[in-house]
Amino acid sequence: MSLTLSQATIKRVNRWKLIGLIGLLLSIFIVVISVENLSVAALIAFVISYTLGPLVSTIERQGISRGIATALVFFTAFVVLFLIGLWLFPYLGGTLSGLQADMPHYISGVSQFINELEIKIHSFAGPLATFDVTGRVEPQLTQWTHDFFDRLPGFLKTFFTVSILGPFLAFFMVKDGRAIVNLILGMVPNHLFETALSLVNQINVQIGQFVRARILESLIVGLVTAIGLLMISFPYAVLLGVFAGLTNFIPYLGPLMGAVPAFLIALVNGQTGLQILLVALVYLVAQLIDAGLLIPVLVARIVDLHPVTVIVVIIGGAQTMGILGMIISIPLASTLKVTVSTIYRHLIDTRS
Amino acid sequence: MTNFVWENLFRKSDQDQQVSEALRQTFIFNTLSRKELGFVKDTVHVRTFKAGESVFRQGEVGVGMYVLLTGSLDVYVDYFADEAAPVRSQLVTRLKAGDFLGELSLVEHSSRRTATAVASEESLLIGFFKPDLFEILDRQPATGVKILLRLSEVLGRRLKETTLKVTELKEELRQIADKI
Repeated sequence: MSLTLSQATIKRVNRWKLIGLIGLLLSIFIVVISVENLSVAALIAFVISYTLGPLVSTIERQGISRGIATALVFFTAFVVLFLIGLWLFPYLGGTLSGLQADMPHYISGVSQFINELEIKIHSFAGPLATFDVTGRVEPQLTQWTHDFFDRLPGFLKTFFTVSILGPFLAFFMVKDGRAIVNLILGMVPNHLFETALSLVNQINVQIGQFVRARILESLIVGLVTAIGLLMISFPYAVLLGVFAGLTNFIPYLGPLMGAVPAFLIALVNGQTGLQILLVALVYLVAQLIDAGLLIPVLVARIVDLHPVTVIVVIIGGAQTMGILGMIISIPLASTLKVTVSTIYRHLIDTRS
Repeated sequence: MTNFVWENLFRKSDQDQQVSEALRQTFIFNTLSRKELGFVKDTVHVRTFKAGESVFRQGEVGVGMYVLLTGSLDVYVDYFADEAAPVRSQLVTRLKAGDFLGELSLVEHSSRRTATAVASEESLLIGFFKPDLFEILDRQPATGVKILLRLSEVLGRRLKETTLKVTELKEELRQIADKI
């Protein structure tokens, strides 16, 4: 029989194990953050694995091995996305180049709109308002547009890197995620093991529900917007639908941001009041479906962030990563909140 | 160097076999086929406890059961006579390789451990927890159901034993009351 160790020795050994584990997790985190494109790819991989994971489990339930089930689901998803891409990319490409050609027209349209507004304000306020908005806005808008189309190739490069790396990581997350998590859990010292296991599991379930709900929500909002705009035969309907779906990830501001381009296009094209009303109706219906149906049914159980938190987090995201930062900052913050609140609830449960 | 690598490889597969064998001999898993056992083996957690290290403590929230692979465990129960009196710890039983403990936590919601288990020598334990059971039920329901059925058998047997004990105690109590 081996010698019984003193409690102090056991505690010391466990403390060092814990420090080692935290060190390992920190270094993984630093690698993910510092390698170019890896953080975005990892994020996308998490989203994909949370979306396709349940599907793989469903197939596995029929007695098919997890490896084959994962390959099957990923292959099917790839084929479906490829077919959609085949149809969507020429369309988007055409739309984008059309948009690029039309852009000067839109910019001068906006400038003219502002100019008319300025004249009205001048006639109204007289010498009190002596500023030249048009002179400032037009070069700025032109600059932004140039920047956007200049950056597009770089953005596309990142996009392609990420869209190969993301699914690649996701495949192994779905197939071997359990083994990887068990490997890391194996390093947790004994006295924390059961707590860590049930925490990891609760957080996993919460984040999974959150990701699936938000994706479904955005998908439906985007789809409703696109179909609505197609029905009133509005230009760039699909592109605007995609944009509305993407910005819908941002609470409060997102729906407004999603609608702005449509109204700009309508205003510049000099469309009638009825047309603008119809556009407003499409966005309103999409938002009503979101607020009245999707959020109560899909998202209600998920943590709500305070409006002030939302604004601060979005500004922070925009400062660090631009538009992408705005879109991913809220899911990231919500995930963080789910994690912290789950840990908190667990600690209360364990202590009481 | 190669020798070292090979030794480690064999040790790993040795332990794998040991775990499979221990699971096969544990009541809860012994109706499973070889393939199902392989799946369970990949789901469970093998943990090493040093002599004197506690596996769990009385009153803690527990999420699952342990099967003793090698070594031995001492199980203590703390008695709280009253608020002022110091806690009295009593050794209830000593568990040896092949025994299992804590299975009630697998089915009970936020269950608290009713005893303290301490490794009396360096011991290897197989941990099988609620999330693991749910994972098996999600991915291989047939396997999960077999485990659940065996688990209910264990719990049912416990209940029967307790009922018998209560009946005996009631009888004793009645006899004492008759004497008085």
